[in-house]
Amino acid sequence: MPQVFHEIEKKIILSLQDNQKQSVESLEKSTGLSSDQVRRGIEWLRLKNLATIDESHTTLISLGKNGLESFEKGLPERRLLDLLKKDPKKIQDLQKELGPVFGPAMGLARKNNWIETNNDMISVGNCPANLPGENALQKIGNGKIPKNEIGEDLNPLLKRPEFVVEDVIKSKEVSLSEEAKSIKITDDSSGAIDVEASTPQIFVARTHPLKDTIDEIREIFVALGFSEIVGNMAQSSFWNFDALFTPQDHPARELQDTFYLDNVNAKNIATAEQIRNVSKSHKKGWRYLWDINEARKMVLRTHTTCVTIRHLAEHKPDEARVFSLGRVFRNEKVSYKHLVEFNQVEGVVVGKNTTLRDLMGIQREFYKRIGITKIKFWPTFFPYTEPSLQTMVYNDRLEKWVELFGMGIFRPEVTKPLGIDKPVLAWGGGIERIAMLKFGLDDVREFYNNDLNWLRSVTNCQ
Amino acid sequence: MPVVDLSFSQLQKLVGKVSKKQIADSLPFLGLDIESVDGNLVRVEYSPNRPDYSTDHGIALGLQGLLGIKTGTIDLKVKNSNDYNIDVKSAVSKVRPYVTGIVARNGKVDDRMIRQLMAMQEDLHFGIGRKRKKSSIGIHDLDKILFPLTYTTASRDHKFVPLNSEKELTMSEILASTDVGKSYGGILGNSSHVPLIIDSKKQTVSFPPIINAAVTTVTSKTKNLFVEVTGINKDDAEDMLSIVAVILQSAGFSLVTVKIRGAKNSPPALATKKMTVSSTLVNEILGLNLSVSKIVSFLKKSRISAVSKGKNVICNIPRYRFDIFGPMDLVEEVALGYGIANLEPMLSPSQTIGQPSTVSTRLKSLSLMMIGLGYNEALNSGLTSKRILYDMTNRELDNPISVLDSKSQEHTILRDSILPGLIENLSRNIHASYPQKLFETGTVFSAGNPINEQISFAGVSAHQDASYTEIKSTLQSALKTGFGLNIETRTSSIPIFEEGRSASILINGKTIGMIGEISSKTIENYKIRVPVVGFEIRLSGLIFD
Repeated sequence: MPQVFHEIEKKIILSLQDNQKQSVESLEKSTGLSSDQVRRGIEWLRLKNLATIDESHTTLISLGKNGLESFEKGLPERRLLDLLKKDPKKIQDLQKELGPVFGPAMGLARKNNWIETNNDMISVGNCPANLPGENALQKIGNGKIPKNEIGEDLNPLLKRPEFVVEDVIKSKEVSLSEEAKSIKITDDSSGAIDVEASTPQIFVARTHPLKDTIDEIREIFVALGFSEIVGNMAQSSFWNFDALFTPQDHPARELQDTFYLDNVNAKNIATAEQIRNVSKSHKKGWRYLWDINEARKMVLRTHTTCVTIRHLAEHKPDEARVFSLGRVFRNEKVSYKHLVEFNQVEGVVVGKNTTLRDLMGIQREFYKRIGITKIKFWPTFFPYTEPSLQTMVYNDRLEKWVELFGMGIFRPEVTKPLGIDKPVLAWGGGIERIAMLKFGLDDVREFYNNDLNWLRSVTNCQ
Repeated sequence: MPVVDLSFSQLQKLVGKVSKKQIADSLPFLGLDIESVDGNLVRVEYSPNRPDYSTDHGIALGLQGLLGIKTGTIDLKVKNSNDYNIDVKSAVSKVRPYVTGIVARNGKVDDRMIRQLMAMQEDLHFGIGRKRKKSSIGIHDLDKILFPLTYTTASRDHKFVPLNSEKELTMSEILASTDVGKSYGGILGNSSHVPLIIDSKKQTVSFPPIINAAVTTVTSKTKNLFVEVTGINKDDAEDMLSIVAVILQSAGFSLVTVKIRGAKNSPPALATKKMTVSSTLVNEILGLNLSVSKIVSFLKKSRISAVSKGKNVICNIPRYRFDIFGPMDLVEEVALGYGIANLEPMLSPSQTIGQPSTVSTRLKSLSLMMIGLGYNEALNSGLTSKRILYDMTNRELDNPISVLDSKSQEHTILRDSILPGLIENLSRNIHASYPQKLFETGTVFSAGNPINEQISFAGVSAHQDASYTEIKSTLQSALKTGFGLNIETRTSSIPIFEEGRSASILINGKTIGMIGEISSKTIENYKIRVPVVGFEIRLSGLIFD
């Protein structure tokens, strides 16, 4: 059976057999196909090793802002000479008439002796019929002309600011391989097409894989009865640290761990009562003099907990399930394990059924929904929760237990000063870690490389 | 978090009759994360609130409790004595006002013990000592010192032979030339006189918080120890002392008191303290129904002796458990004694109905529009660089918000625009097939009150035939179909775009963004070989508040 070709391929082969080397545009004309069809056809032929494509570059010239103005009104020096055609004129009058182009026009004209100066009167000197660049200007006009068609008269224009714009256009020239030159295209009335031919690869457009994980987590929180709250990324140290009972000399507050904004301090950080109570709580618990100026320093939030605690302090709910989700920041050296900016989610439960066992139950359910069933709980320490636990999940690929979310009950030293009198259960952690498990990544930086090859090929569900 | 190296065999010796496996299985339930196991060696991470876990002795005490081998509070047995006195001179009150100490006699000091003590000291200095600023420790060979001691100050010309040195150095020389001097000298500020402990023969014992004298160095021949802690706060200094005291007692030393007087100093208070927790609180928080006597027994397993009184439990908190602030901390101790592994998770039905924020919902629907239009979603950092934001795109630097001391050059200022990042993304993909179309939504920052944060939305399209028309159609279609919004464009000159091919985007007469063909200069800067068109609009105030 002879090789089957698509109608497009047939037309292209026939045309190229007549005329050995053609551009895409020329093929469009000779075959009557659309540019997209030609493109596809030559791509198919290329894949079958029947056609080769050579790229060449052409520079196209069009007029820029000043060039267009000169095209309409004449070159500045031409306008100058026109004014002097009848009588010599005073320099001040010329300046008035020509406006901003007076300078360049005078400069050029003087340099080339096109004008003469007598006292303060200017008159026409020895000037040619066509000024340099005038021919080129006319040739280009409003069009786009290949550079090599214009000639040397273009050079003076190239030197002048915003007179011409150069566009480099790549063009492809297609020619047939030796094998294809001798192919006999016959009229095939059966309508058969080459169904075995490989087709060009196309890519789906998709949401970012990390965003998918974030959305999935958001949906699970919502399904578990949590409502989303949002808050700022730039926060005062008061809400990021002080309100969470983190003493002002705590290592986590140092410049080398936390991003402080250069020279930005918050004016109104909290109510007078909140400030007073938090200050007292620190003085009592950590035995030092609390400094409001430290609390005013603006940081990029190191956790989403600042958003949660602010919400609770403002609303003092008797019963609530809320969560916040978003970017958090740490002054880290970027590595396969650490980013300076990553996503965190955190949920809190206030009110009834707020026991540690309930918190563990919510966790277990959460992990089940993201497909993790092998989990256990270990005690741990967080400065603002007591008791505190962490979830360990079994990573089959790495064959070991890895730490995921943390959880605990907000310390009374945190809640009482802010007037929150119900126990608050909190749980949360980094999202990239979960996404890494899902997408089988060992390097967290991949999420932010925006590498299209990865984004286009990563499999949605693993 | 700090780490400590342990050996299973040593732990077995200290804990009593337990297997290696029992130890390995129990460590996490004391809150110790196992970092690595190598034969007999195990490295664990401990929490900064439990500095008593900085040695194997402290961990052994915890394991004994958890495994039920020995339970209840460890009482410090400190023999009263008048042999060891420290006089404090008022001159210290300006530099480092407090000193405290204890004597530990008749212990066995071998190389292993010295290593453990050094490691503990380092951890204490770094953690609760806040890099020696708050409090710092010196451990000395008791028999090289003649009591009574004086805690006073000396001028910076004072000379002695410091630890790890063979010749006499002045205080100034120590601060200028030794590693510890350079690291911690700043604590002493510019004061002309610096802290000093001397013995009754005027021999220098220590230059707190910098370094001990060489003469009191602890070696494997040492039998008796003298421990001093200095600091800026009496309670903090005694916190640190209590840790060392309980560890040394557990290591077999007999503790003897040190008397301290003068300049508002007094002997250390190392007695246990009483704290009450109600069984109701325990059960309410843990979701259990434990009897008072059970609670008492679980607390004992956490090495806290307790007695019941009606519904309450009265606990005897040892001095070294200064991490226990109040009843809630005792609830956790009950949970640990009960065993976290025994706590059964419980799922109660939610009393509330959940919902995502409007912002999330709207952004989600916008991204679906963009996917439909063939755009891939990109994600970039909000904290980025001047190079990407301004230099490469010829945008003018306008009051940027920068962070202090970033460890990464790539992350120094907050973005005020998303578009420059997307163009940078295209430059990393010049070898991937075209057309390339990317969009991103995210927070952008601008200076103000104190910081304005808004959600922005940008898109780029890069391919041979990319045109202004295409990008305007795309944005128009996304906003019309997604949110019923109609955009207008007005000629406008914007540095990131090519002159004459850029516009402001307006909705109902209000400017919300920009659109155009990316300037050839930027494209060249990034060595992108196809035309790029793009847009950016503010979503805050448009599709949500």
